Amino acid sequence: MKIPFKKKNTEKEALEKVLSKSNDYKNIHFTNEKTKVEFYLTFIASLTDEKIIHKEALPYLLHGELYNLDDVPELITIAETEISTNPKDIELKLFNGYVLVQVVGNEEQLCFFAAQREVGRSIGVPEVEFSVIGPKEAFVESMKQNLNLVRKRIPVKELVIEELTVGKISKTKVAIIYLEEITNQENINTVRQRLQDIDIDGVTDSSFIVQIISDNQNSPFPQLLDTERPDRVTASIIEGKVAIIVDGSPHALIGPTTLVELFSSFEDYFLNWIVSSFFRLIRLFAVTFSILVTPIYVATLSYHYELIPRDLLSALVASRRAIPFPPILEALFLELTIELLREAGARLPTKVGQTIGIVGGIVIGTASVEAGLTSNVLLIIIALAALASFTTPVYRMGNTIRLLRFPFLLFAELWGLVGIVLSFCIMLTHLIRLTSLGRPYLEPLYPPRRQDMKDALIRLSFKNQAKRPVFLRSKHPSRLDERDAKQKQDIDE
Amino acid sequence: MSVSIPENKKISPFLVFFVVQKMQFGIGILGFQRIIAKTAGYDAWISIILAGIAVHIVLWALFKMLETVNGDMISIHTFVFGKIVSKIFGLFFILYYLLLTVTVIRTYVEIVQVWMFTDLTTFWFSLIFLIVVVYIIFGGFRTVTGMAFFGIVLPFYVLALFLFTLPYAEFDNLLPILDHSISDILLGSKNMSLTVLGFESLLIFYPFIKDQKKSKKWAHLAVFSTTMIYVYLAILTFAYFPENQLQKNIWPTLTMWKIIMMPFVERFEYIGIANWCLIILPNASIALWCSSRIAKRLFSIKQRTTVPILAFICLIATSLLFTRKQVNLLSDLVGQIGFYLNFFYFPLLLVATLIAKKVKKNEVGS
Repeated sequence: MKIPFKKKNTEKEALEKVLSKSNDYKNIHFTNEKTKVEFYLTFIASLTDEKIIHKEALPYLLHGELYNLDDVPELITIAETEISTNPKDIELKLFNGYVLVQVVGNEEQLCFFAAQREVGRSIGVPEVEFSVIGPKEAFVESMKQNLNLVRKRIPVKELVIEELTVGKISKTKVAIIYLEEITNQENINTVRQRLQDIDIDGVTDSSFIVQIISDNQNSPFPQLLDTERPDRVTASIIEGKVAIIVDGSPHALIGPTTLVELFSSFEDYFLNWIVSSFFRLIRLFAVTFSILVTPIYVATLSYHYELIPRDLLSALVASRRAIPFPPILEALFLELTIELLREAGARLPTKVGQTIGIVGGIVIGTASVEAGLTSNVLLIIIALAALASFTTPVYRMGNTIRLLRFPFLLFAELWGLVGIVLSFCIMLTHLIRLTSLGRPYLEPLYPPRRQDMKDALIRLSFKNQAKRPVFLRSKHPSRLDERDAKQKQDIDE
Repeated sequence: MSVSIPENKKISPFLVFFVVQKMQFGIGILGFQRIIAKTAGYDAWISIILAGIAVHIVLWALFKMLETVNGDMISIHTFVFGKIVSKIFGLFFILYYLLLTVTVIRTYVEIVQVWMFTDLTTFWFSLIFLIVVVYIIFGGFRTVTGMAFFGIVLPFYVLALFLFTLPYAEFDNLLPILDHSISDILLGSKNMSLTVLGFESLLIFYPFIKDQKKSKKWAHLAVFSTTMIYVYLAILTFAYFPENQLQKNIWPTLTMWKIIMMPFVERFEYIGIANWCLIILPNASIALWCSSRIAKRLFSIKQRTTVPILAFICLIATSLLFTRKQVNLLSDLVGQIGFYLNFFYFPLLLVATLIAKKVKKNEVGS
């Protein structure tokens, strides 16, 4: 292939030098049949769709009336075309799936047209945040698709989608989405600033972003909500939050978030408020139970067996009579087994994973009790605790919950119940100090805000949700127009 | 003279309720019944109410002073006595709050040692405890308030549990009412006042309150609720114990828990004592915070440096108190200081402030 450009176009030459090593770089010479104008098409074959080039562009360029470069946008049937003289655009555009047209003799002018190849899976069903009722669409890896999913749910001009590029090498596109008139400007600025400040070579998923822009990176608690549900993102944006969508990631990020939100499932909003409040309370109980039950077992059996009434104590002692280990070892052994099962199940394909679950759960559990390594009471407790920990609707939070019980266990072994309370205090302090995009993480529990309690531990009816959460400091605190608020009627009026 | 605190470090006025109540409601509640009944007998509940009224008056005086100078304790002292004297007074208050921290921690450790772990090492427990305290204070006053908030809300259920003693209660114990002389009852009030002290920390965190005028009612409400809780507990205790038996229990509150029995739990005092950790922690944090805050106001040293140093001093002090007698001596000492401070010094200071204000006004006028 002959290099058609002279010294003028050093930018392209330099590019070509590197690019010609790659097989998918194409630089093809054509001549128009009518006007005999010679031109070049340059593109990266793996990023472009040949069908578009062959059907929408080439026939017109070859047989149309092409005299100079300015004719190109009029000839071809592609809407996204652009004429530029900046040689720096070449690299940027080529690697975003554009095709470059250059007419011989006028190499300084560059014409680009879009011919991106859209590869990727089609929109699927949410798997991490499955819900029985409600929409079944989930985000995919393509940002275009994801933005479409959000945009079509909020068809107003106030919806702003800002785009940034993150990552020195990966050049990942990141979109910040918010509602112009509603979202607090400070929150938007914080997100934008933190995204711009990211200094990293490659970003392949939104989980990179969430770890980098968190307020406290040394905390086990997730400080931004990540979700694969477009409906959840939409609801959050309308509520006044900021969403971040990362190209190549099927998980959007939402912030600022709170601890209670991380324990709420989006399905809560599909169910009647009484039912969903009940489920939330169940979940709250499950989490507390899951963190505390093994430490309490260890604490009571190691130090405070007087706590247990006589009848219950005899049952406990009977189950532990033949066991050679102290309670802490027994508990750690079983906890680790459960962790192993979970980890193995997560790494293996679904079908094998199920088998592992059965083998692990039933065989190891029963066998260890029969072998006299653990007591069956503890087996029940640990299995229940594991089950309870899986009720957390946000996967990231579930992992945190599973991790939290280990420090509690150690403190329980150290100082019994006092140790448990002490470690609880540490956790509480950590949570009070934690912020999400600068907003208090524990809100509405602390700082206590009665108004935000309507959608926290329980969820009240939509009638009571007329106000946006206080902690978001929204520009429009009311969700409805004030004048629409109805006055309460008396009976028989 | 006024102190400016950034808006986002301040607390809402109603949170003052929790801080004030928290400081009043600490380790004292585990054993105050015996002490007040020593002189006032089973009329002591009247002593509690009288003490409560006295606290309301002092609280009013504190607010009056703070409003006059619109600052904190240091500003008041500077306003009245000038800079040098205020520094000396400030040093004294640093020491006072340090002692308070030490007392709180050491008393709690003692209870744990007596009731749960006889071989608990004071040093190691205090070390971990103080590390948590430092961690809390490093979060700023908002975090300290947060712990105070949870320190009240979470263990609140404990109050209901005292109702388990009702089947064994003999309310006739309280009769006849006003069986003791007024001076005995007043002496009981004095003893009671030792356990309801701590609200004077308001003098230090006042600049941290967002809408200071609104916080008044919350502070008074806090004092009122503390008094009510103490009366409630005293009446239940007096009904539960015969008078002579009460004098044999150092911590009657804990003994009362022993009666609680549920199908899955007995000997509730274990849970109670463990729970008290959550109540003591904010107490110690507020006290140590006050201490470091005064140091900052006096010498403008960063709290980040003073807090660990002060905590270290507390750690050494707590570890050096070995016997029950020493602990008792210390808590008596702190109680006495607190008593004279609150009921004699602060009212006098109010008078001095008002005079100083008048004098300065006249100076400006002439």
